[in-house]
Amino acid sequence: MDSRKYPLYFSFPALLVFLLFFIAPTLVGVYYSFTDWNVHAQSVHWIGLDNYAALFREPRLEKALTNTLVFAASVTVLQNVIGIALALVLNEKLKLRNVLRLVFFMPYVIAPVVIGYVFRAIYHPDHGIVNRALRELGLGALAQDWLNDPKWALFSVIATDLWRVSGFAMVVYLAGLQFIPKDLTECAAIDGASYWSRFRRIVFPLLAPSFTVNVLLSLIGSMKVFEMVMVLTNGGPGYTTDVFYTYIRSTFSMGQMGYSTAINLVLFVLVTAVGVPVLMLMKKREVDL
Amino acid sequence: MKKRGPIPLAVALALAAAGLAACGGGGNGGGSGGDAGGAASSASQPSDSAAGGQADGKAKDPVTLTFLIANTEDTAPYTKIFDAYEKKTGNKVELQSLPGGDYDNLIMTRFSTGDLPDLFLMQPGTKQYVKLRAQETLHEWSGESGVWDNMVDTIKQAQVQDGKIYGVPYGSTGAYGIFYNKDVFAKAGVQPPRNYQDLLDIAHKIKDAGVTPFYEGVKDGWPTQIFYFTGWVSDVDPAIGADGVEKLNANQLKLTDIPQLKDLFEKQKKLKDDGLMQKNVLAGTYDELQNEMGEGKVAMAFMLDGIISQLEKKFGKDFVRASLGFFPFPSDTDSGTAMITPPTQLMVPEKAKHRDAAIDLVKFMLQPDNVNSYYADHPGIPIFKGATSTLYPAQEDIKKYIDEGKSQINIQNRLTASFVNFDKTLQNFFIDGDTDKAIQDFSDNYQKDGKAKLLPGF
Repeated sequence: MDSRKYPLYFSFPALLVFLLFFIAPTLVGVYYSFTDWNVHAQSVHWIGLDNYAALFREPRLEKALTNTLVFAASVTVLQNVIGIALALVLNEKLKLRNVLRLVFFMPYVIAPVVIGYVFRAIYHPDHGIVNRALRELGLGALAQDWLNDPKWALFSVIATDLWRVSGFAMVVYLAGLQFIPKDLTECAAIDGASYWSRFRRIVFPLLAPSFTVNVLLSLIGSMKVFEMVMVLTNGGPGYTTDVFYTYIRSTFSMGQMGYSTAINLVLFVLVTAVGVPVLMLMKKREVDL
Repeated sequence: MKKRGPIPLAVALALAAAGLAACGGGGNGGGSGGDAGGAASSASQPSDSAAGGQADGKAKDPVTLTFLIANTEDTAPYTKIFDAYEKKTGNKVELQSLPGGDYDNLIMTRFSTGDLPDLFLMQPGTKQYVKLRAQETLHEWSGESGVWDNMVDTIKQAQVQDGKIYGVPYGSTGAYGIFYNKDVFAKAGVQPPRNYQDLLDIAHKIKDAGVTPFYEGVKDGWPTQIFYFTGWVSDVDPAIGADGVEKLNANQLKLTDIPQLKDLFEKQKKLKDDGLMQKNVLAGTYDELQNEMGEGKVAMAFMLDGIISQLEKKFGKDFVRASLGFFPFPSDTDSGTAMITPPTQLMVPEKAKHRDAAIDLVKFMLQPDNVNSYYADHPGIPIFKGATSTLYPAQEDIKKYIDEGKSQINIQNRLTASFVNFDKTLQNFFIDGDTDKAIQDFSDNYQKDGKAKLLPGF
């Protein structure tokens, strides 16, 4: 194999774009979070930690933080469980395998806003298909006001997002499964290993790179959830499904740019604090054949 | 199998930074406009060659003007006027309809980024001047000829702040109150109430007749606020007077210290607790309210007069003419005060690309023929002397209160700070029914907005 390396300057165009459109705005954002930047003010002043002090006194932050973490944890775990299960089933020789793969992946290519509007109709307490189906099945007692009852609203948003993203996890796991040599599982089967044992001892460890990618993308993506909550509940009823981004939007609408940026920075710290250790941990347990 | 090495920390940090940069998209969207005035100054200077017309009225070099309007407004009357304007001048008007819920925010963002329209329609009141920092950004109209000749003077005076006028009122006087289905009232054998207790008695009779007395659009949020704005003019204004409003403006009076306001929260709670609102009240929307009211399944709604044109679209003019009525929020002692809103206002950014043509367009819109054309498509209580408008009976009911001097302008238009997130406060209130918490939240958010707008006293 040719051991020559490409020269470093090959990376400069990409680094320049990254610097201009990601790193620079990030640093500017950090600066503005320490200012009183406000659309009603004539100038911007450095105010130190005032935005953060006000933010941590705000009860709405606690709700947004809790909901964001609950949403992220639920979606990350369930998306991967459903994704692996679908990938395992659709990796078998089934007649409709390709059609089913397409069907399960399709929601991922539909815009979240469109999905949100469709599910608003599906969850409608009187005319929605969920409650109508429950009533037709004689399970009317289970019918709920899915999006407007504080007990169910966040659960309904999570369920909708799972429906949207599970197909994506499935595709990544399917790709991972293609790289696992059949002989390994076949040998184990001949030696009498059960399906569960083969999955636990062979398939899952070798799926670790796909697992890492899926968990990380899911974790970061779901901590930044916005459109789905916005369309389905707008953070409501009240603040019961408020997440970081609906909170940021609300303060942004009031023209409090510096304060909004401070909330954004808290989210950044949160994503980093959760994402980086998870990434380190999972990379450690990855194995190569 | 061999263990793979840990991923470089730099890659992990870069990934997280990318996450933040993406997050920052919203926050930095207006980033270039940290100083709105400064950003706006980078916009192109007035370079309007179109204003200078030729002898036939056509511009030498026709331009296309950008006109922004909220999508909650009916655009039909404007389109007709703009067609006439194009025929006369050759200038086209591109009408951009923006989401009503975010309209103010979108306008402010466009100002911050220097993406200025030539002309836009804005909510009424001088508080919009503060929001848009009018003295730096908007054209001043007080000395402009051909604008004020036919305007009703009280409407003009409501636009004046420190001797300056930055918005030209256009449209009609609006009203909030209780709109009701006359057929349902006839079926239940009831009449519009003489006082608040009477309203409750009527509601119970309607419920006994098998019809839902009230509908509240709690999911949409904003409709639930109307109860308070209509109730304010009947219950709160008589108690605190103009002096109290001034104190609220200066933050010398707290909303939590107004017992009549707390009483309004109690009244709305009682309507819900007594089962006088629709079932699944948390799922209520404005759209469904119109359907239920038009179909006679709901008797009354605390609503703005925009519902008239919506019901006309869905159920026809005959329905609105024959079956829709209006009465104000009744006080404890009488039939109450009608809550009116000044008309929306036309504004022209001082640094708009086609500023002079936009000013000409405003003057064109104010010509009597065009004003009448507007009212023909969008009947309402006129704000121009000599204008003709065929009012619906519900609008006649509103006008009757105005003519009798039993009307008061919306408290929102009299205060500079806004009742932000009031819809959220009320959604929470519908969930937990905690009056003290709701009024505290209401007051806190008012204070926050005053501070955010850097108003004196906050």
